[in-house]
Amino acid sequence: MTTATDVHAHDDHHEHHPAGIMRWLTTTNHKDIGTMYLTFSLIMFLVGGMMILGVRAELFKPGLQLMRPEFFNQLIGVHALVMIFAALMPAATGFANWLLPLQLGAPDMALPRLNNWGFWLLPPAAILLTLPFTLALFGIGDGAVATGWTLYAPLSVQGGLGVDFAIFSIHLLGISSVLGSINIIVTIFNMRAPGMTLMKMPLFAWGWLITAFLLIATIPVLAGAVTMLLTDRHFGTHFFDAAGGGDPILFQHLFWFFGHPEVYILLLPVWGFIPHILSAFTRKPVYGYKAQVYSFWAIGILSVVVWAHHFLTVGMPVPALLYFMYSTMSISLPLAVLFFCWIANMWKGSMSFETPMLFATGWIILFGIGGLTGLVLADVAADAQYHHSYFVVAHFHYTLFAGGIMGVMAGVYFWLPKMTGRMYNEKLGKLHFWLTAIAFNMTFIPQFFLGLAGMPRRIPDYALQFADFNMISSISAFVLGLSQLLFVYNIVSCVRGHGEKAADKPWEGAEGLEWTLSSPPPYHSFTEQPVIK
Amino acid sequence: MGSEVLATSDEDFSITARPNCSLSLHQRLGVFGAIASFSLCVATGFTLAGAWLVFPFAGLELLALGAAFYIIHCHSDDYERLTIAGDDLAVEKRIYKKISRVVFHRYWARVVLRETPDGDRQLWLRSHGREVEFGRYLNNDARLILAKQLKQRTGAGS
Repeated sequence: MTTATDVHAHDDHHEHHPAGIMRWLTTTNHKDIGTMYLTFSLIMFLVGGMMILGVRAELFKPGLQLMRPEFFNQLIGVHALVMIFAALMPAATGFANWLLPLQLGAPDMALPRLNNWGFWLLPPAAILLTLPFTLALFGIGDGAVATGWTLYAPLSVQGGLGVDFAIFSIHLLGISSVLGSINIIVTIFNMRAPGMTLMKMPLFAWGWLITAFLLIATIPVLAGAVTMLLTDRHFGTHFFDAAGGGDPILFQHLFWFFGHPEVYILLLPVWGFIPHILSAFTRKPVYGYKAQVYSFWAIGILSVVVWAHHFLTVGMPVPALLYFMYSTMSISLPLAVLFFCWIANMWKGSMSFETPMLFATGWIILFGIGGLTGLVLADVAADAQYHHSYFVVAHFHYTLFAGGIMGVMAGVYFWLPKMTGRMYNEKLGKLHFWLTAIAFNMTFIPQFFLGLAGMPRRIPDYALQFADFNMISSISAFVLGLSQLLFVYNIVSCVRGHGEKAADKPWEGAEGLEWTLSSPPPYHSFTEQPVIK
Repeated sequence: MGSEVLATSDEDFSITARPNCSLSLHQRLGVFGAIASFSLCVATGFTLAGAWLVFPFAGLELLALGAAFYIIHCHSDDYERLTIAGDDLAVEKRIYKKISRVVFHRYWARVVLRETPDGDRQLWLRSHGREVEFGRYLNNDARLILAKQLKQRTGAGS
């Protein structure tokens, strides 16, 4: 007689896991590492936010009020680097760590120790990035990197100590990203539950898979570029020095070959999880799954062939300008497919507007504005006027704050009950959304007008004609910043066990393997290997 | 991770545990080849444009990705098999290409659970100074259940 015996029966009495600081230092558990990524991301989001509030305070009125122009430049540059590399990217990686094994039915990530190393490279990188501020207080160096996050040569070749710190920080952040990407690629390809074919994977896994490919393709280019910058600065090479036969424009090509896909690296994971949220709160299955997967691929591929639209005014030949203009505009086609799918998902759905859905809906509208204003900038003729103006600043904040960070917030509210086992305060969540949405628009709509009127970006002082819009933008930025304290409060109170106990599936329409587990999930996720039919 | 358990009679027992690998060798090579081709094309392009320092970074990164796939490949056929038949309790393991087999006398074998620094329990079988671990591909709960079942079938419990 042959009988199958259940060796996987679950026994909660044996739910042991390490406690204290060693748990976090040595952990290889995907949920612990995901929590560390998300916590790090939240802290750096607040740090980067405070930096830009300093900038907005300076811009409240014309004239120099609070700081030297050099310090103003440093705040702007480090704000961008912190928000991109230390807030938004770790948030996406944190979600990947938390959710991918749960959604794929895997016991953990494929290479758990690598996962731990990937995370622990981030804090030293963040310290390197911000340390020059502190060193300058003691008379060492002249502060942090003041070139903007793009580190354009020759300014960065001539810059101070902060540039070196930024270069090493970027190397560490790059290594961390590559380690994370390798782990995600191997996990997605090798550890899917039996029956989960690639075309049955959740869209979040698809979004991350393409993100990981993009990181693998582009990080070496950034690493090469900043290393060449380092050798130009200290070892007598002339890669970017025109006087020595080098080419400063080469740096721009290298930087944006990484920098443009980076936008999609930040956005694809969010595009991946927004359909899950829309599906849950419309009580409808994900609309156009295949169309969304193919659009992810199309956007991923196009993202590596359009980089020069970031410097259309640099003096390229006309055929190159035309190529980069049309190729950039062609990204709007797969993106329009995605927008169609998101909106169609809501069409005739049985919708309810809990906080995650509010953020997801607001996200579609605001990210749509980001996309449409990007089309304006892709136009070679129009870009000649808007390049390096506040129009660009407003555009990429609609893309990266609304499209990135507000998407992450939707994800946090959606999965927070699963992660912590507690429901957040719905009233505060909704208040957080409305304050964020209104203050965000009040901050950045005036910046579109400022850009159209000709105000250049990265200046600490400006002409009187720009005063009113800057004042509105600064006040709104402070409201936007302070309203994030509601977000922090909601997260902290859930983590500390306040609030109602969350059901295993707190959202009626939610679908996916993660909702079959308890809230919070057990330390070792799946006690039985799930089989996908 | 996957496991299959066979009880051939009330007395005899067999369990095989192996890691779950959803990608075949050919698919693994295909994925790595596609990523490597693209990455090397990009590195070559920039090298031709004068930015040769992109190349070593691309190489290092592909080396790391290749190593990750190689490690996964090396262990994709690994398994652990525990068989109780008659008076013998055998533990057979395949790690990479090496197959090892340890046989204990069923009635002398002892089941030992050891707590790891992570708080998990390792399952060891011990007899006459020899011991062998079993259950690396099982999760903690599955190991505890298996330990209970083995205690009933070995040593004083049999």
